[in-house]
Amino acid sequence: MAQPGYYPGFSTLGQQKFWDAKTRQVVLDRVGNVPEVRFFSPQEACLLNAVCDRVLPQDDRDESHKIPIVPQIDRRLFENSHDGYQYEDMPPDREAYQLGLRAIEKIARHRYGCGFLEIGPQEQDEILRLLHDGKPSAANDIWKRVPVHRFWMLLVSDCTDAYYSHPWAWDEIGFGGPAYPRAYMRLERGEAETWEVTEKRYDWKAPENSVSGEFEPVSGQLEHLGSPGQGGTH
Amino acid sequence: MKSPLLGEFHPPGGKPHMLGSIQRIETPMHRFSEGEEVDYAIVGVGVGAGGGVLLQRLARAGFRVIGFDAGPFWDTERDWVSDEKGAHNLYWNDLRITGGKHPLAFGANNCGKGVGGGTVHWASFTPRLHPSDFRTHSTDGVGVDWPISYSDLKPYYELMELELPVSGPSYFPWGDPHGYPYGPHPMGGVGDALIRGCTKLGIGVSAGGPVAILNGSRGDRPHCIYRGFCIQGCKVGAKASTLITHVPDAIENGAEIRPNCMVSRIHIGRDRRVTGISYFDPEGRERFQKAKAVVVAGYSIETPRLLLNSACPGFENGLANSSDCVGRYLMAQAGNVVLGRFEELVRMYKAPPAHALTEEFYETDPKRGFARGFAIQTVGPLPMAFARQMMTAKGAWGWGMRSVMMDYNHWASFGFLGEILPHAENRVQLAEEKDRLGIPIAKATFTLHDNDQKLIEYGKNKTMEVMWAAGATEVVQEVRYAHLVGAARMGSDPETSVVDQFGRTHDIANLFICDGSIMPTQGSANPGLTIMALAARTADYLIREGNEVFTSHKPNSDKPAMRRDLSPPDTRGHGMPRI
Ligand SMILES: Cc1cc2nc3c(=O)[nH]c(=O)nc-3n(C[C@H](O)[C@H](O)[C@H](O)COP(=O)(O)OP(=O)(O)OC[C@H]3O[C@@H](n4cnc5c(N)ncnc54)[C@H](O)[C@@H]3O)c2cc1C
Ligand code: SF4
Repeated sequence: MAQPGYYPGFSTLGQQKFWDAKTRQVVLDRVGNVPEVRFFSPQEACLLNAVCDRVLPQDDRDESHKIPIVPQIDRRLFENSHDGYQYEDMPPDREAYQLGLRAIEKIARHRYGCGFLEIGPQEQDEILRLLHDGKPSAANDIWKRVPVHRFWMLLVSDCTDAYYSHPWAWDEIGFGGPAYPRAYMRLERGEAETWEVTEKRYDWKAPENSVSGEFEPVSGQLEHLGSPGQGGTH
Repeated sequence: MKSPLLGEFHPPGGKPHMLGSIQRIETPMHRFSEGEEVDYAIVGVGVGAGGGVLLQRLARAGFRVIGFDAGPFWDTERDWVSDEKGAHNLYWNDLRITGGKHPLAFGANNCGKGVGGGTVHWASFTPRLHPSDFRTHSTDGVGVDWPISYSDLKPYYELMELELPVSGPSYFPWGDPHGYPYGPHPMGGVGDALIRGCTKLGIGVSAGGPVAILNGSRGDRPHCIYRGFCIQGCKVGAKASTLITHVPDAIENGAEIRPNCMVSRIHIGRDRRVTGISYFDPEGRERFQKAKAVVVAGYSIETPRLLLNSACPGFENGLANSSDCVGRYLMAQAGNVVLGRFEELVRMYKAPPAHALTEEFYETDPKRGFARGFAIQTVGPLPMAFARQMMTAKGAWGWGMRSVMMDYNHWASFGFLGEILPHAENRVQLAEEKDRLGIPIAKATFTLHDNDQKLIEYGKNKTMEVMWAAGATEVVQEVRYAHLVGAARMGSDPETSVVDQFGRTHDIANLFICDGSIMPTQGSANPGLTIMALAARTADYLIREGNEVFTSHKPNSDKPAMRRDLSPPDTRGHGMPRI
């Protein structure tokens, strides 16, 4: 399969000789040493894998270039590392994941009469869509302990963190990657450095029957629920 | 694979402690011996924006000082990376509980851990407050007046702008108009968009600053290489942080830094004066450091947490808390991020995130129906942060996330920075939970009020309007808060404030606070420069008072003369304000 995205042949890893030693070590380690699953049980890991496959689908990547998501989430929970805060109405992240996974399984059984792993990708998307909309159709006992919109944001941001911290994702989106000690010189008009690749656009479409290709605000009431932006910018 | 002209990159020099790519610490650090009573001891707790400047000045004036920081003493070559995820450990990631109607996000959103504190990961926008910020109550009937005025702080602003130093335009038209000692930076794609949008709407813009980033090399600090990783720590050494601007001079002058030491309690003696502090050393052993005076500079969450956790007989509600104001009047600025998609490419990861801003809407305009105002600034989220923004701003996930991220290079983003007023119920308290050292953790409660909400609504729309005017074909935004300050505010009345204008607690004569938590209101300027200016002023006061601080019970409230001879070497006499 061709590399996804509009920057054919762009490889940030191909620039690694221009990176500083420490950055090179950290990024190569991310690519080469995928951690073992240590926190989740094998069943949980399997289920989470299926969930992450829909939250951040990679069907357009060949097997050898799929970016590992679950191992990164597992490592974070195993090491109990977090973003430095916990919402008053949320349990700790570890518990939130275990409860959330159980609830997803319950919704699948309630809606389709079988487990999340046994239904097709479109049905799986439908279930995740319920979480995104903040209207889960089952497992209300669990969602009382884990507010659904907060669980959704936790899950999505863990997936995007794992994916977009990977150099293969940088190649896909045309991000230049590490840039020290070498500088950027072309700052304006979106111009590419000599070693970057110019954009070649084509008509990219989400697969036919996917549910997640369109955009709708989370829960439709985010501001009211007061979930602020998570990233540090200024 | 192409190879670098001069060969693959290896850290320069090998062993010495590196601060940026060239600067290194040459002198061995003084170490006070175990159990030694640090005479003239002023123990800075927390070496960040405020703590770093104070430590440096006290050391230069000959005091025997130790700076404690809960985090590491960074060697920037060894510890920092040019990578978004790898920079996670720059932030204060110990657990905090967040609640209220509009709970704040911490971690990457707020506060540093390690020598240099928040200045390690700040974007380094360094605007001054406006004169009106010091008297919002008298002029606008909101907030509270400061016990000092703009003119008290102005010379310190000028001094800090030389010490960092700050690059910016030669004429900055808002507030008290002034010029910057070093010239402005070139624009990146986001700055271009801000200029375009503002120009179309007839709004003035400041291009290329004010930012504490070098545009030309100076001494042992190289110039900016426009690599856009400011928030991840500047490995180059071009962006100012107290780690590289003030701490080296402090060490040179005999200060000790004790990194990886978490201060857990401030002790009070029989005469109701501070006697020292307890801290956990890097091995987790609890130790005591005797001190003749203590300065707390731990940021708006950790400072009140430490004061509250130090409650003892005679100070049952926590230290310096007879006013019940410790932890109260916590503020954050409204920091909505407005994102616009353009047909043409932007590549917003290049150039420092901070490089242009407008303060056209800073002051109260009665026509808008709310008091106070806001600024609009450039920001430059890298892929992980941008994905999270697409999650909140657009509700993206699945294939939608993949497709919008493929357009990353087409987006530009502005940060709205709005003044939220101080409210007593927005506060830091202690939670039931304890951290791994057994210290109760902090719980923050945050709720917007009417004026805040009106201001955010108006400002957010105005920022989006600028983005449309710049030529965006799609504009979205996410709610966000930035820059915590307050929670131990200064004032002249001990009934309604925690410290006086010099940072001295009203209740305990040898206990001081020197960080953003003493700010009574926040304006819509990023707080860093103000925190440093206040720290330099506190230093002048302490130095003039000398021994009196350690013995007297009657605080002297005369203003100190400004000391211009305490700047780090090579910062005086270079670069002159142009106005
Ligand atoms: C992403 C981001 C961008 C920002 N950009 C800007 C900007 O462009 N301009 C600007 O002006 N501001 C900016 N800020 C805000 C700025 O970083 C802070 O306002 C400033 O650093 C606060 O200074 P401080 O002295 O109060 O505390 P800090 O600088 O946070 O220092 C506190 C230090 O105390 C230590 N400490 C705390 N408690 C203890 C304890 N109990 N024992 C020992 N040590 C302790 C901590 O480890 C820390 O190092 C930004 C912040 C973020 C998160
Ligand atoms: S953009 Fe400039 S100031 Fe920012 S990290 Fe890079 S070199 Fe440092």
